[in-house]
Amino acid sequence: MSSSGQGATNPAGIGAGRRRAGRRRRWGSIGWHLAALALLAVILYPVAWVVSASFTPSASIIGDLELLPRDPTTDNYRRAAEGMAGISVWRFFWNSTVLAVLAVVGTVASSALAGYAFARLRFRGRSTMFVLMISTLLLPFHVLIVPQYAVFQNLGLVDTYAPLLLGKFLAAEAFFVFLMVQFMRNIPNELDESARIDGAGQWGTFWHIILPLSRPAMITTAIFTFIWTWNDFLGPLIYLSTPDKYPLPLALQLYIDQTTLSDYGALMAMSMLALLPVIGFFLFFQRFLVEGVSTSGLKG
Amino acid sequence: MPTNAVTATRTGPGFDERPVTPSRRRRPGDGLAGYLFLSPWIVGMLLLTIGPMAASLYLSFTDYNLFTTPEWIGIDNYRRLFDDSRWLRSVQVTGMYVLLAVPVKLAAALAVAMLLNSQRRGQGIYRAAFYGPSLIGASVSVAIVWKALFSDDAAVDRLLSMVGIRTGGWVGNPDFSLLMLVLLAAWQFGAPMVIFLAGLKQVPRELYEAAEVDGAGRWRRFWSVTVPMISPVIFFNLLLETINSFQIFTSAYVIGGRNGSPAGSTLFYTVYLYDRGFTDFRMGYASAMAWMLLLGVGLVTAMLFRTARGWVHYSGDNR
Amino acid sequence: MKRFRTVLATSAALALIATGAAACGNDSESGPVTLRYSWWGNADRADLMQQAIDLFEDRNPDITVTPSFQEYEAYWQKLTTETAGGNMPDVIQMDFSYLREYADRGVLYDLDDQTGDALVLDDLLAGFDGVGEVDDARYAVPIGGNTWSMFYNPALFTQADVPAPQVGWTWADYHAAMAAIKSTTGVYGGGNYTGVIYNLEAQLRQEGGALFTEDGQLGFDQERLARFWQQGQDLIAQDVVLPVETAVQIKPASLWVDDLAASDLGWDNFLVRYAGETDTEIRLGPLPSDDPERLGQYLKPAMLLSASARTEHPEAAAKLISFMINDPEVGRIFGGNRGLPATNAQREAAELDGPLADVAAYEETIADQLTQAPPAPPRGAGGVEAAFIRISEELHYGRISVQQAVDQFFTEAEDILQS
Repeated sequence: MSSSGQGATNPAGIGAGRRRAGRRRRWGSIGWHLAALALLAVILYPVAWVVSASFTPSASIIGDLELLPRDPTTDNYRRAAEGMAGISVWRFFWNSTVLAVLAVVGTVASSALAGYAFARLRFRGRSTMFVLMISTLLLPFHVLIVPQYAVFQNLGLVDTYAPLLLGKFLAAEAFFVFLMVQFMRNIPNELDESARIDGAGQWGTFWHIILPLSRPAMITTAIFTFIWTWNDFLGPLIYLSTPDKYPLPLALQLYIDQTTLSDYGALMAMSMLALLPVIGFFLFFQRFLVEGVSTSGLKG
Repeated sequence: MPTNAVTATRTGPGFDERPVTPSRRRRPGDGLAGYLFLSPWIVGMLLLTIGPMAASLYLSFTDYNLFTTPEWIGIDNYRRLFDDSRWLRSVQVTGMYVLLAVPVKLAAALAVAMLLNSQRRGQGIYRAAFYGPSLIGASVSVAIVWKALFSDDAAVDRLLSMVGIRTGGWVGNPDFSLLMLVLLAAWQFGAPMVIFLAGLKQVPRELYEAAEVDGAGRWRRFWSVTVPMISPVIFFNLLLETINSFQIFTSAYVIGGRNGSPAGSTLFYTVYLYDRGFTDFRMGYASAMAWMLLLGVGLVTAMLFRTARGWVHYSGDNR
Repeated sequence: MKRFRTVLATSAALALIATGAAACGNDSESGPVTLRYSWWGNADRADLMQQAIDLFEDRNPDITVTPSFQEYEAYWQKLTTETAGGNMPDVIQMDFSYLREYADRGVLYDLDDQTGDALVLDDLLAGFDGVGEVDDARYAVPIGGNTWSMFYNPALFTQADVPAPQVGWTWADYHAAMAAIKSTTGVYGGGNYTGVIYNLEAQLRQEGGALFTEDGQLGFDQERLARFWQQGQDLIAQDVVLPVETAVQIKPASLWVDDLAASDLGWDNFLVRYAGETDTEIRLGPLPSDDPERLGQYLKPAMLLSASARTEHPEAAAKLISFMINDPEVGRIFGGNRGLPATNAQREAAELDGPLADVAAYEETIADQLTQAPPAPPRGAGGVEAAFIRISEELHYGRISVQQAVDQFFTEAEDILQS
């Protein structure tokens, strides 16, 4: 386990005696873990509360202030796994997975393309288009719901997944386009200059130089898109009517209805179950963030 | 790139009339390639975005109740905003929230990202754990947890009592409810944290090694290598968190409801907008509110872009 | 300016105009028909609804029903968007307070055209005559009903030696009972009823008035509202009602969860919900009234069914509505899930047990007092109610005075109602 030059958090000193350095490093490492764990304890307390609530009898969840359930039960999970209205719970998981995976593919691809154009190419109208893109971030979505619905209604796409995915494939998520721009602008110029000299065209430069160096941004985009699509409620609510097309969040909200009985236990249990794939996705993909980008092409 | 150049701050141009890459003349073929690479975005803009945006702008000059034909009333909606005490209240509440939530959340995100940016055992687990709260999103379950934590005689209240502060719970107290939402935002710092981490990964290791050879200490390395090198990412997070904080909706709505309970202390701009548009059926008025917000946040955004020229530095924009 | 308008209008029209030929309902429908049917409710209701729909499809093989369901708030957001986009489902569940918002804007189908043929209304309970009619057209049919009532904890009333609520008790009796309960048991006497507009409505009806006038304006003056809110301020000063801080904190749970108070006013069918939340025995009783002849209580349609004005199959839609309110088998399936059924046949068929049986028994005891329901609330009633809740909350927090609250409410309510 090396702790060589990894930036400001590297507690190891340089140039001291090796033994002393080794000891210091070990203490530094223990200190690091202690600090991280203490911080985690605070941050994860509410999460632990949700986990515990998912094992608490439904009736005593609201207004319960304690961390540990008094009489733990797995009933909530049993009820959550039953599904509803003849639709199995796996169906909701499947729908969510289809939506999230397609959204990831669409968003990563389209944002990388648009990001490259904004960050590294010069063409007429680029600044205007960039301003336009940023301005789409500024309008609260609630006033766009009705006009946007009318668009998809006229295209005959309501009650399909198209309204939820089309925007992802057409780089309508300005957040991710701008994220790509920020990362791609930070890639040193010498790299694509030398690629040009080797005779690479625009596409070659993009594919062989810029994309590999933008991997952290792409992984970040993939992770966020997956999680945000997985948790998205409003889009599916507006565009999907048929219950067997519902993703998880729409199924979740059926446990709480202010006009009838609410089943908070099943809600918590289902929330927990819904978290598992997301955590898995995150754990799998974050590894690719680890590998730092080495820019050996930098010459002083 | 000479190593001592690292410590010199250089300014990259912002997005304005000046080109991104001043060192290069526009190469032939760039123009066409630009439009080709942008084609999905352009189609999306024309098909999905421009129409609805124009529609909402048009509607902001009309009296529109969602079901019948909009009626043109000019700038009436905009004029009425300034006599609307709830609108003024929502501006106040939102402004306060942005000022508090953005710095707190970003500081937490950067600190944890720095902490996690090292080769330690179990790094992935640590990252997932710190990201955990953000995975949950702003849902009903989060609202229930948050209320349970900040209720009278619950966890937070007991902790504070230990140091002699009696608040009597934050949930039902209008003076504390905004703070509760600020802490909720800070607690879900996962997104900016991951972006900071990705940015830290982009910093070439050679720069740190060179700085160490020059005898720079840890702080010195942080300020002269890390900050300039990740400045595009810092800028991204600052801008996006600011824009998003102005538009905070879901977490506020699940905790304070459409009235911004208690006593209007969580009546955020978009919560009020939603209430006007979807429960009072005044979509014209709501659209005017939306465009006022666009103007306000647009000004803030433009200002951030302008100041960014002084401190954001892009390796790809060589002079 | 004019050019700017034209440009805007053109681009907006592209996005806004929902095409689709207007429905032309032909009387004799033949061939297979598909109906979209939307309702709000939880997963349990969806299960029951699916059974009822299967039954309907068995009896009407040429009609297919496509269900859609959401939780209450989400339901209205979705329905509003669909309606604005010209894509309203054929049959929808309707709330009494939204009825005029929709009916006045011409998006609901006038069911009078189908009454007597596809739609049978002869069996509705007496209290429901004319409910769902707006300006002499029938835009909705009630499914179930409830009435505004007093919930109380009999154990605490006994402990404080206070007589249980019964017809003839007055508001002063109620205030005294709350004070006695608080001083002897330490439990709050009740929730602060002045935060809910239906309690004001009850008092107005007991005085022979109404919440809204015939022409959709407020049915009371500033002085009357000030008197009502002052009652609440006095109760807060005496510390006999649940403090607003606690009421806000426990949401979405009710005050019954931790036995925080001995009484509260609400819709009687909520007894089912409360019984699910707590083991404490809760009973129903009549409202306090200063006029023993007038309780002011009425049978309110808890939910209704409407059809879309643009439906292409009005006859099939009417059949479905008729089936849902009349069929005894459907009554048996739902029991009290949709409130106490609105037709005699379904009331008899519904095997009510537990709290619902209590609700039904309670409604029997005050049956002769249940007067004719007021006409559907005017457009904007929902906004008025929200303003009432919001402003009274600020008042209970002591952020504004009674006079300021009254002024603010009248300003807002008049603004909402005049449009």
